[in-house]
Order: sequence, then C-alpha cells, then structure tokens
Amino acid sequence: MLVEEKKTSKSFLVVVTDEEFLKLKVKYINFLFPIKGLSVGFPKTFSLEEITEEHAYLYINRILDTQSLQNLKEVLLNIKDNIVGICFTDLGVLNVCKELGLSLELIYMQNHNTTNVYSINYYLEYVDSVLLSTDITREEIYTILDKSKKALVVPYFMLMDVMYSRRNLLSNFESEFGLPKKQEEVLHEEISNTDFLAVENEYGTVLYNKTFIDYRDIHLENIKYLFVNPLGLDKKTLEKVLAGEAVANISNTGFLDKKTYYRLKEE
Amino acid sequence: MDYVELLAPAGDLERLKIAYLYGADAVYCSGKKYGLRANASNFTMEELASATNYAHSLGKKIYVTVNILFHEEEVDGIDAYLKDLDKIGIDAVIASDILVMKKVQELNLSFEVHVSTQASILNSEAALFYKSLGAKRLVLAREAHLNDIKEIKKATNLDLECFIHGAMCTSFSGRCVLSNVCTNRDSNRGGCAQICRWTFGIEDVETPFSMTPKDLNLIEYISSMIDAGVNSFKVEGRMRGIYYIATVILVYRRVIDKILMHNLSNGEVQYYLDILNRVANRESTPQFIDKLPGSKEQYFLGRDEVSNQDFLGLVLQYDAKSKIATIEQRNYFKVGDVVEFFGPSIKTFTYKIEKIYDENGDTIGIANHPKMIIKLKVDTCLEKFDMMRIKVFDKQEYL
Repeated sequence: MLVEEKKTSKSFLVVVTDEEFLKLKVKYINFLFPIKGLSVGFPKTFSLEEITEEHAYLYINRILDTQSLQNLKEVLLNIKDNIVGICFTDLGVLNVCKELGLSLELIYMQNHNTTNVYSINYYLEYVDSVLLSTDITREEIYTILDKSKKALVVPYFMLMDVMYSRRNLLSNFESEFGLPKKQEEVLHEEISNTDFLAVENEYGTVLYNKTFIDYRDIHLENIKYLFVNPLGLDKKTLEKVLAGEAVANISNTGFLDKKTYYRLKEE
Repeated sequence: MDYVELLAPAGDLERLKIAYLYGADAVYCSGKKYGLRANASNFTMEELASATNYAHSLGKKIYVTVNILFHEEEVDGIDAYLKDLDKIGIDAVIASDILVMKKVQELNLSFEVHVSTQASILNSEAALFYKSLGAKRLVLAREAHLNDIKEIKKATNLDLECFIHGAMCTSFSGRCVLSNVCTNRDSNRGGCAQICRWTFGIEDVETPFSMTPKDLNLIEYISSMIDAGVNSFKVEGRMRGIYYIATVILVYRRVIDKILMHNLSNGEVQYYLDILNRVANRESTPQFIDKLPGSKEQYFLGRDEVSNQDFLGLVLQYDAKSKIATIEQRNYFKVGDVVEFFGPSIKTFTYKIEKIYDENGDTIGIANHPKMIIKLKVDTCLEKFDMMRIKVFDKQEYL
C-alpha cells in the first residue's frame, strides 16, 4: 500500500542516556526516557516523577514477564500530560494501553523484526509508527519507506543493540571469578575484531556493537522521527551528530551497505 | 486436564520416523525455505507431503517451521509456499513474523498457526495480542517461569507449548544478531553462527568472558508444567541424530505417561535424568522455570563437550524363530561387553555379548567398522529400530 501523504521530517527522537542532553538547544528534538523497572540496556533509568520534559516519550524496551506487567500498569496509570507517547518492545504494552484507555502515541521498537514492509504495515494497524530494523540494507530501507502506510522511525545515529539476554551475564561472570561488580563492560571478540558494550541491570543484559551506526546520509522521506541512541556520547559530540557534522572514528554504516546471508551453500 | 503432547524435532525423514516410533505425538520440521536451520538438510515439499501422510497414518501431527524474520527478498514466495503446505495437509506452521500469521488468515488456510518462541512471549497481554491474530498455540519463551505459564493459560486458554530439553540461546530467542555482526550470517534467517558460545576478552581481566548457557532439562518439572497448563512438551534438536532423538523422546514419553497415570517415583525420575545427562554432550539444568539462572547455569572455563559413543547398534531385523537380531553397528563393541537393548515397545534389558556373527555367519570377536552388519542371538524379542547401547545405569538400583 502506498502512503497517501509522505512528509519530509527532521525530528529527532533521542534516548536520554545522560541528563546533560536535556540542556541541548536543538530544534525538533524529542526525548525518550528509559523507565525504571521497565527498561534494559541503559545505566540510567527514570521514574515518572523525574521526567519533567514536555512532549516526552517513555522507552519501555524490556520483554515483560507476569510480575512486570503490574509494574507497567502502575506506571501507565500515573502518566502525566507531559508524556505524549510510548516506545515499546513487548506487544503486551499495546493491550495494556487499550485496557487502560490511554490515548498516547504508540511506537513499536523491536529492532530485529521490522525487516520488511508487509510486516511493518501489519504492525501499523495497531500502532502509530515503527522503528525500522538496523539489520537491513539501504535498499531495503528505501523500499519500506516507499511502501509503508505511515511515517516511520528510522535509525539515524545509534549504538546498535545486538543481543538482549534475561540473564545477568556480567554479574554471573564476576561472581564466578570473584571480580569487582560492574554495570558495564567492553567485550572484545577477537576473530571479527569487534568490541561490544555490555550493559546490565537486574532485568537483563544488553550487548551493543560499540561502534555507532551512522545513517545520516539516508533520504528523508516518509520519516516520523530520526532515532538516536547516544549511549556513551558526550553532549558536545551529540550536538555535532544532530547538526550533521562529522564525528571521527566512532561510527560506520552497519548493515546499510552490507547485505547479510544465511545459507552456506545454495540448494 | 487438557491434552498433553510430546513434540520432537526432526531434521529429515529418518529422524522423523524414529521420533514417532519412540513416542512423539507430533514432530516439527522445516521445509527447504523459511526455517531457522537454513543449513540443515531439511525437507523438500515432496518429503513434507510424505511425512505428513506418514504422521497422519499413525494418528500423529506434523508442524512446519516458517519462523524466519522475513526481509523483502523472501516475501515474494511466501504465499505459494503456504498454499503448498496447506495442500499437503500439515497440521500447523510455527511462525514468528507477523507476516506469516496475517497471510494464513488472508489466504484462508486451514492449518493452525503456532507462535514461535522467537516471539519471546512471557506475559498474558502479549499472549492475548497473538490470540487476536488467530494463533491457536503459543510457544513460550524459554525464559518463562511457572507463574508466567499459569497466568498466560488463565488469560488466553490457548494451547501452550514449552521447550523442555536441549540447547538454549544466551539471548531471548530472536533478539540476537551477534552472528550478523561477527560473521555476516543472519541469525534470524537461519544462519546463526552461535557466537554466544565463543569467548570474549575484557581489558585487564585475564579470564576470558563467557556467556554460554548450559542446556535446558525440565524432566523434574513436567508434572508442575502439566498442572500449569502446558499442552505440548517440546524437545530441541533438529540437527541431532537418531540415537539422541530416540533416547530423549523415549525418556519423556515414559515420564509423561507415568505422570498421567500417577505412578512416577522419584527414583525413576533420577534414573531418567541420568539417562538424559548421559546422552547429551553438554550439562543441563532447569534454567528459568523456577528462578533466574545464575553462574551455575552457565559455562565458563573448560567446557566439556563429550562425543557420546554409547550408541552401539541399530536393530534392522529380528527373527523370532531363530532369535537372531541383525544389527547395524554404530560404535565399537566386542564379545564380553555388557550392553542393553531399548526400544519403544520393549522393556529395556541387559544383555551380555557372548558371540558376534558377521553377515556370512562367521564368528568375530569385535565389531569395529562403522555401519557393519552383524548378528547376535538374543532370546528376548526385539523389533526393527530398537537400539543397543552401552549399559551404564541399572534401573533396579534406582527403585
């Protein structure tokens, strides 16, 4: 299905990984707050009371178990007017919002299953927008943006999350070998010469590819927001990123121009 | 109580037949496309048709995995593929991409949709979302606790399927692209290179970082899981051989049947646990069902992956009159060895090898050639596809 009205946009959706970012004087910036008890992969999470920013979004990226559903409901029942939307990973959030009668903007953010336009258009029957996967190529992104029936959130500059485990992988390793406890650790994979940033909280461990992906040269069409996860960046560098300025040696283009394969031999 | 099903993996027709024979109520397998074991032999459409006919002739079920996350280039053929599966009469597809679930509805296909564990369902609200998409069954995340299972059952009344045995991802299944990053092989389209089983360096830490989980083994929790509402008990391992499948499926068949008849003893559970531990090449634990796994549920230094050589022979034929069993050798054995025979319709029994005959009827002292055909005189009646293994455990000692 072709989109009826395509719009060009340069509105940013920036995860608040450092409270300093809230002081940024950048036009069209929207902040996304990882929520206490409902988010993984971020050293800093926020309670609703701590979010005073206008036009703020909640970032609920945990896979929720039964116990955490109650926590989710409590958070959503106490939402104030400054919260305009929820970016979420677990599809259970959809039903809870419906049950509670919340009229918030809903953005589905599951980084690995939004890889074709048919699935995305199906998800868009339930939500206002979807974050495009970082696992697809530039060509695939353009096809999807062209055929998506609503404007999408597109990765712009971010640490790519490459694994989410329910296990406390750092704590387990540290306890096994009597090492000091850390919430973050850089893991080096020798064969591929890749560094991963592991971030743990009590709800699990997220591994990011430590090299940022920089998609800032993609065509801006049918885009709702440009998604930025600046975990590990300082305010000055983030400012440069948002201004479209060059930032040296911290990024690559991920899978944008590198197609993955999965068969070792053709049948 | 709802019905209870034992669900086995099958990488090809031989393994599928062994799985049914050894007690599986249903088998899951993959066609040549759209499955997450892209580099396994898998089934052609003709083989799937034949497997479906075979399953239905036994009154059993067959499910086909269509569980990749689709990229644009895979989408084109999916309608035709699903229609072909419908024509041959499979019982269900196991899907993780919403595309497949919606297509089954749009094309008005008659098989069921089972939502794959790749969808990471851990709560009743997510489960209700998939129910609204027409799912008949949910394969819950391996991270599910018994309380999650109970709540999901209560809220949805859908069929619930849980993995009970076999390898685990470190990650929530489907939420990992380490393979994509390190090897350019797409894990969510069947190319996973299992990077989570590699080791990693940490600056200034001498010990390599490891995050490899031990395998899953829920034999001690089957009864609680039945009570919680699980309908289908699923064994992982589409790449595993016939001995593994026969052993694991037979153990769970016996355990489930005894639970349903209320006569499973603790001693028997321990015996079966030892059998399962022996057949696997890695250690196993219950993982998430009753707690959050810690360091004891993972491997760190010095992981042992033992190549199991217990499987000595496959019974090809048994002549009741002469009591001669014709056996295909699978691992070395010799005269004097104490072994045991097991199979789906015999009581496992101990046997001391007194004489081995070759195909010509001449006596030999050892069977040391892979797949050589030998004959043994066995007084107890055997059947085709019974198996001979090294005797390690004596069930009587557990009772």
